[in-house]
Amino acid sequence: MTNRKGGLSKVFDYFCNEDPFAEGLSPCPGCPLELALRLLGKILGSQDLVMTGTPSCSNPVMTGQNVGAWHRLTAYCTLMTGAAANATGLSRQYRRSGQDATVVCFNGDGCAADIGFQALSGAAERGENFIYVCYDNEGYMNTGVQRSGTTPIGAKTATTPVGPKQRGKSTRRKNLPLLMAMHRIPYAATATLSHLEDFAKKLLKAKEKKNEGLAYIHLFAPCPTGWGVPTHQAIEVCRNAVRTNYFPLWEAEKGIFTLTHQVKKPKPIMEYTRLIKKYNHLKEDELERIQEEVDYEYEFLRHLTEFRKCVATKHQTAGE
Amino acid sequence: MNAHARLLGCGKKGMLNMEGTEFNKTKIKVITGNSAAAHGAMLCRPEVLALYPITPQTEVVEEISGFYASGELDAEVVEVEGENSAMNIITAASAAGARAFTATSSYGLVYMYDALLQAAGYRVPIVMVNVNRETPGITAVSSGQQDMISTRDSGWIQIITSSCQEILDSIIMAYRLAEDFDIQVPVMVNYDGFYLSYLAEKVEVPCRADVDGFLAPLKDQPQRPILKPGEPMGFGTHGILEGYLELRYKHSTALERAKVKFDEIDKAFERHFGRSYGGQIDTYRTADADMVLVASGSLSGTAQKVIDLKRDQGLKIGLIRLRMFRPFPRERLIETLRGKKAIGVIDRSICFGWNSGPIYVELRALSPEIGYIPMMSFIDGIANMDVSVANIERMVRILQSASEGDSYQKVTWIGMEEE
Repeated sequence: MTNRKGGLSKVFDYFCNEDPFAEGLSPCPGCPLELALRLLGKILGSQDLVMTGTPSCSNPVMTGQNVGAWHRLTAYCTLMTGAAANATGLSRQYRRSGQDATVVCFNGDGCAADIGFQALSGAAERGENFIYVCYDNEGYMNTGVQRSGTTPIGAKTATTPVGPKQRGKSTRRKNLPLLMAMHRIPYAATATLSHLEDFAKKLLKAKEKKNEGLAYIHLFAPCPTGWGVPTHQAIEVCRNAVRTNYFPLWEAEKGIFTLTHQVKKPKPIMEYTRLIKKYNHLKEDELERIQEEVDYEYEFLRHLTEFRKCVATKHQTAGE
Repeated sequence: MNAHARLLGCGKKGMLNMEGTEFNKTKIKVITGNSAAAHGAMLCRPEVLALYPITPQTEVVEEISGFYASGELDAEVVEVEGENSAMNIITAASAAGARAFTATSSYGLVYMYDALLQAAGYRVPIVMVNVNRETPGITAVSSGQQDMISTRDSGWIQIITSSCQEILDSIIMAYRLAEDFDIQVPVMVNYDGFYLSYLAEKVEVPCRADVDGFLAPLKDQPQRPILKPGEPMGFGTHGILEGYLELRYKHSTALERAKVKFDEIDKAFERHFGRSYGGQIDTYRTADADMVLVASGSLSGTAQKVIDLKRDQGLKIGLIRLRMFRPFPRERLIETLRGKKAIGVIDRSICFGWNSGPIYVELRALSPEIGYIPMMSFIDGIANMDVSVANIERMVRILQSASEGDSYQKVTWIGMEEE
């Protein structure tokens, strides 16, 4: 985390900020969610932060699960259907009454990609002024590891078990960050916990961009308990997800895509899947299928990043 | 062009982004129930509104959009993508301190059911208009109270209105009730789809100053808890065990308080605007009546006419119009019904599992207090079937024979009787 001159980088300074969360939160051991939340609090600052969270893995952190608040933040508990709508209501009233506020939805993929997608898409289309962070652990982990819209093909979950008639999830994952970017919101980005500097920069950018409309960050957050990952390896899984292009790091400003971390020589998907027990049952041909999915999605993304060259001039002069 | 744009006329085009002079004076207008609802809401100066159209409510959101476009309504208006979000938006906005409003109907109401429970549990003092419409069948876009009835245990206060004027006035009263520091419970103002939503009547639209004045006492009350950035507070972090029990108990007792409060607000409204609706219930010729009909909503007008006809024929009959369904006006009903000889309840919805009307079932629960009185359920007016004078006369005949000691059928589906 040093810059070229050997000193600490500007974003790293934020890491030294006060942590609004108490010690000893209650996520499972090794869960990167806690790291994400603490970092988010430090980066965005508790000054004007209003957090919203659903009944989910984040809930024990946000609400203290009946033992009192575990943070020094303003928090609103939402339903999964209405997470983005609740944030809309809050941010609209703060805007109207002239209060500075950074409203942040901190929701899982089940909420963002499935049951709460309508409200999220609606908020994106209307240009609501808040930040939506989806921590993607690829399933309904809090209820005991069931499949969601972002569960990848082949993954074993409680509702996509492995047996003679089924080999884990049979359909591909929904590419939610791409869908959000396609709303041409001021800011959409992917991030993960092996690349904290990148995540921090994106949070700061989201805070700035949310004044123009919805800012969306899709945070890849493996679930050691649900995926079968040793508690000390969650960050390694994040890193390999990036190295294999399974989870590329990019950002899109009003539909203009940029890769924020280029992987020069992508590793084969095996490097990622071998760390995770939910893929244990997969045979070589099945892994190849996953590799094809990864290649397709990355190629698609790469083309999108090149798209900027075609529209740069036109886009700017059109005045957006 | 919406009705509001028409009302503004061509001479007032230059008043964008400012409150016009349109509502500086109390005016008599001929407007629909939906328009009356839009006017009522706008005059209360809501700060955040979430608008989503649904038949037969659509005109409400159109007119409010018109008020916003013309500058009459200075608010955050969210053109939302569905009712579920609409309820979630105004709930959170209210938690952040806003006066908030939305309007819905039927499937819209049940689509926001999770959020509806949340709003009540969070004790946000919001006001919503629900235009009663049937639920099963996509073309049954017609009047019937099943939507409202289906949400009766949600913890909301539910008011049923019976004229366009009453719709407008009830919304103003609803804010006084919801935002009262002793209450802090959301209020749903109901009116019949089609019969009232599209019916144009003479309505006195009060001027802004009068509505401001009526709502002014709310400003003198203690500040309710508000979620503000930088002021740590958890909203909706309901615990379990005793903490939850206490919240539910307080919520329930707030609804009990709302009954007398609503009567008081009705009296205050009369002093301020010269109109009264009786508070929880509106009684008509019940004092010396032997028989009483209990009804709600637009059909009450027809029922009133039948009461007059029967009175002319020497029948001692009266009418109770239920204005408040939740909380249920037990005390005032007991007071009015005690000593009567027969009670007939007209329901525009069904209490499945009891094969009778829901309001009837609730009234039956008053038997220990009012004594054994023959009580009949009449199910009528489902899906816009007119509750005609002839229908109500039929009910009165059954009621009369029961009051004279004849055997009677407890439940009658008007139009489904076996000859």
